[in-house]
Amino acid sequence: MASLSLKGIQKIYPNGFQAVKDFDLDIEDKEFIIFVGPSGCGKSTTLRMIAGLEDISGGTLEIDGKVMNDVEPKDRDIAMVFQNYALYPHMTVYDNMAFGLKLRKVPKDEIDKKVREAARILDLEKLLDRKPKALSGGQRQRVAMGRAIVRHPKVFLMDEPLSNLDAKLRVQMRIEISKLHENLGATIIYVTHDQTEAMTLGTRIVVMKDGVVQQVDTPQNLYNTPCNLFVAGFIGSPQMNFMDATVKVEGEDVTLTVGEHVLKVPASKKKALLDSKYDGSTVVLGIRPEDVHDSEAFINSSPDSVIKSKIKVYELLGAEVFLYFDVEGTQMTARVNPRTTLRNGDDATFALDMEKIHLFDKETELTIVN
Amino acid sequence: MGHTPELDKALSELKKVTGIVLDVYVDSPEEQEFALAQIHSLSLAYKEKYNKSHFLQSLMTEGIPAYDILKRASNLHIDAEVPRVLFLAETKNILDDTIIQVLKNLFPSQSKTYLVSMSEKSIAILRPLKVCETDEDMDHLSHTIVDTLNMEALTHVQIAYSGNMDTLSELPGAFRETSLALQVGKLFYSGQTVFPYNQLGVGRLIYRLPSGICESFLKEIFGNGAPEPFDAETTAAINKFFQNNLNIAETSRQLHMHRNTLIYRLEQIEKKTGLDIRKFEDAMTLKIAIMVMNYLQTERNS
Repeated sequence: MASLSLKGIQKIYPNGFQAVKDFDLDIEDKEFIIFVGPSGCGKSTTLRMIAGLEDISGGTLEIDGKVMNDVEPKDRDIAMVFQNYALYPHMTVYDNMAFGLKLRKVPKDEIDKKVREAARILDLEKLLDRKPKALSGGQRQRVAMGRAIVRHPKVFLMDEPLSNLDAKLRVQMRIEISKLHENLGATIIYVTHDQTEAMTLGTRIVVMKDGVVQQVDTPQNLYNTPCNLFVAGFIGSPQMNFMDATVKVEGEDVTLTVGEHVLKVPASKKKALLDSKYDGSTVVLGIRPEDVHDSEAFINSSPDSVIKSKIKVYELLGAEVFLYFDVEGTQMTARVNPRTTLRNGDDATFALDMEKIHLFDKETELTIVN
Repeated sequence: MGHTPELDKALSELKKVTGIVLDVYVDSPEEQEFALAQIHSLSLAYKEKYNKSHFLQSLMTEGIPAYDILKRASNLHIDAEVPRVLFLAETKNILDDTIIQVLKNLFPSQSKTYLVSMSEKSIAILRPLKVCETDEDMDHLSHTIVDTLNMEALTHVQIAYSGNMDTLSELPGAFRETSLALQVGKLFYSGQTVFPYNQLGVGRLIYRLPSGICESFLKEIFGNGAPEPFDAETTAAINKFFQNNLNIAETSRQLHMHRNTLIYRLEQIEKKTGLDIRKFEDAMTLKIAIMVMNYLQTERNS
């Protein structure tokens, strides 16, 4: 398997549009890297540049220390699995997996060995004689993976490979891909717009926006310590709640004022506000839905972080309830216990877990404190 | 003289096309020239009469008169009255055996789907249309062709597809349509790989305009100083704002951007261009102006 290094990678189309800007990333051998971001953020373009399907306009791509910018895709020792894969309808599963190797004039016994090995890894051994129309969606997807595996590439590149599957199958295939990564010990670069896929599969995640890398980190760190407002809003579902808040410093106390609500900033978060002289400024207060509490015990123990509102929507999801309400014109979500007594139209009191708040600079949108 | 390399090449081509093995000896350059012309004519006549690909290629490039289409199609056992769609794929590298083999196996029924090489980098796929297939299905099929060629042949591919044809006599028009879609698509939507014939938008018009007229248009809007190209972030904001029908709330939500930040950006655009794109008329003008600027930029770069 392989390590990759992307240094200052850029993609500029002939019409001048810059799809990817100064992309820097070192990928270790056997890493499972996820590129995630909204549509048009440059994640697929970056993957296609690594594959050699798009020319690199600037910067250097190295695989195992060798510069690959001008190397033909077939000579990069990569394999791809894309969203709209097609199996050859008249061929058996075996022949579908063997086809690419046959085209490369690989000896027959070597093809047989590789196909059977891939079939074993993917649990397709009993299906090798079947035609694609006799397979389920998940089995077809595994055959598509198998076509990539038989090549024994240094790097696997996957571009939204699960997007065409239904929700249930997607969850199942996510587990399969994760197992595959463990079994193969492969370096995998995986593009998705689905942050659940990103969080569950990746060893590290690259969050992109407008062709620019926003943050590269582990799923846990991205969730807990986002570097800016965009990452904070993009990672997590339901997304983080944001409110404009005015900072007020009175002696040792620092408070955040959101309309008529005054919230006391805990000691752990105060220093960043004091050091950067935010007194009197408006900052963006972010808090995850699970850190907005409706339990009486929590409210009683946190009198300095109480907000009041009226429930607009009550959504029961079985194991949890989402409550939607407005605070000073901004929609907020609380993820609470299903035993909550709050319902649509009720006056509600919540308390924020101030130890879990995130504060962002309103101008630069960068994190002040997590 | 006996055998010459030119003669051997022509005879080999004849064998490839017709299966006929000939042995020809010549004594002078004049005789060789005559023999070469005869062999070439024989190959051509055979192709015209028996080769479906050659017939379809000629038909697409308008090399067959309308009155002859049905008769020749019938001679080649091509059903002229089957509804079909034409796909035109262009690869970055020269079409090699891998690409052809992948396509042949994607469309294994060669009596129904025809693959016709149109140039060293482009191939037409003439495929029958099933009863309930829609434009959406054709779009999905186009993406499947692109992704499969990407994965199996490891080559960059762009593809355009035509509207539905009811008879084979509509094929020349469909080829013109797909060729135009491919050209316009590559020019205005270069990040995409699939270009439907009916989604070229204003690009279809701008593509046909001479540069002089484009420059006059820009001068009319921006005066003598056309604005510098927008940075990627502003371009993304403009595109998303247009996609969302000038809806600020929805655009800021999709861009994960605060509403006021978006408004600030739109005001900066107004300062730079004099166009307030929150108003429909100005939005439309800027949309077209950006496309014209991109078109001119691409023309200059190429």
